[in-house]
Amino acid sequence: MSVGSMITQLLGGFLMTVEIFVLTLVFSLPLGLLVSFGRMSKVKIVQLISKVYISIMRGTPLMLQIIVVYFAPYYVFRIRVGSGYRFPAVILAFVINYAAYFAEIYRSGIESMPVGQYEAAEVLGYSKLQTFVRIILPQVFKRVLPPITNETITLVKDTSMAFTISIAEMFTIAKQIGAAQTNIMPLLAAGVFYYIFNLIVATGMEGLEKKLSYYR
Amino acid sequence: MSEKAVLLEMNHVKKSFDGKGVLEDISLKVREGEVVSVIGPSGSGKSTLLRCATLLEHMDGGELIYLGQTACSEKPDKQGKSRCVYASKAELKEIRKSFGLVFQSFHLFPHYSVMKNIIDAPIHVDKVPHGEAVERAERLLAQLGLSDKADNFPYQLSGGQQQRVSIARALALQPKILFFDEPTSALDPELTVEVLKVIKELAKEHMTMIIVTHEMQFAREVSDRIVFMEHGVIVEEGSPEELFATENPRVKEFINKLY
Repeated sequence: MSVGSMITQLLGGFLMTVEIFVLTLVFSLPLGLLVSFGRMSKVKIVQLISKVYISIMRGTPLMLQIIVVYFAPYYVFRIRVGSGYRFPAVILAFVINYAAYFAEIYRSGIESMPVGQYEAAEVLGYSKLQTFVRIILPQVFKRVLPPITNETITLVKDTSMAFTISIAEMFTIAKQIGAAQTNIMPLLAAGVFYYIFNLIVATGMEGLEKKLSYYR
Repeated sequence: MSEKAVLLEMNHVKKSFDGKGVLEDISLKVREGEVVSVIGPSGSGKSTLLRCATLLEHMDGGELIYLGQTACSEKPDKQGKSRCVYASKAELKEIRKSFGLVFQSFHLFPHYSVMKNIIDAPIHVDKVPHGEAVERAERLLAQLGLSDKADNFPYQLSGGQQQRVSIARALALQPKILFFDEPTSALDPELTVEVLKVIKELAKEHMTMIIVTHEMQFAREVSDRIVFMEHGVIVEEGSPEELFATENPRVKEFINKLY
């Protein structure tokens, strides 16, 4: 196989990798905020459910979660799912896993806000919602950006775990080509792709941090 | 001269934290245009009194009335135990419009420019048109000597400037009463002077103010009335002349120590 066709195949897998990455972020970032609200809720039962959820998601391997989400419909309910379920299963597993991590990041950010900000807003007549949206959230966003960047970089690498249920993302394809040709090159090339992807992600996040450095 | 309207009335206010009484039966009446200073040692309940008056703290007993509107009053609950019942959310929102509060440590919004700190609440809370809010803010900034700081962010200002911005932010909502909670305690002596000057100017314009402070000289100059608090009760109350000539040994001792 020529280098050109290897790169073309890897690129195909890379697109899948990007797709998993983007969809996971799009759903898990807002879901994480919702879970963090649950975690901070005054309603004890909601708080407990959120706590248990986060604990399980963080306490068990992501790979196991992917496999459970994929096989549960058949193993538990005897529902036959076609191979079309693979992709939704992987997205679902990634989203519920990453939402748990994001929830804890949001919570730490929200809880680190000084009480004075809430009190100043209250005396000025802001409603609870206005206070959160106008005063608290923008400042929390700035505070949580560095840990969010960390998670995002981890996510780029974690997408490779989709190979456990044979999703044709970049790592799966690199492993296949490498095994077929007993050649290390596809794996090294995949490594370069992951590295460049992360470099772009890190640079972008750094730019965002810079943009928010107009205040302290 | 006819009696000025009563803006704030606090009757028999009680407040305790974990069973420890902080305010024991405090009554205070403030009329339009009056400047009242509240002095007393740390832990005397001055700040708690202010926090109860500004609805940041729920009082346990007594009555709180703004311009004849009852914010809370004591009523017996189902068990016959007396407790404070607050007005509805909508009524409290209306009542909040009648006062402003300047904090000891400013609590400006760090992500907003000076201008935005001042216009945001008028626009989003009081629905003042943008242009009018900006005009109002510009007038206030000029009055407080901060015209050139409109586009700065709070972290770029000195403590004294930040405190003046927070005064402007409170005034932008055109409150009837302005509360100050130790407005200069976080400032060095030089910056203290510039903030006190602003408060004195407001007093000249007959802004109704209630000021918790440790600045005796200032309290003496600016106040129509000084209230001395200790252990959650008002020990003595009167004009600056009366208070500084008091025979009460405890008040005398406190004043002499600080003055």
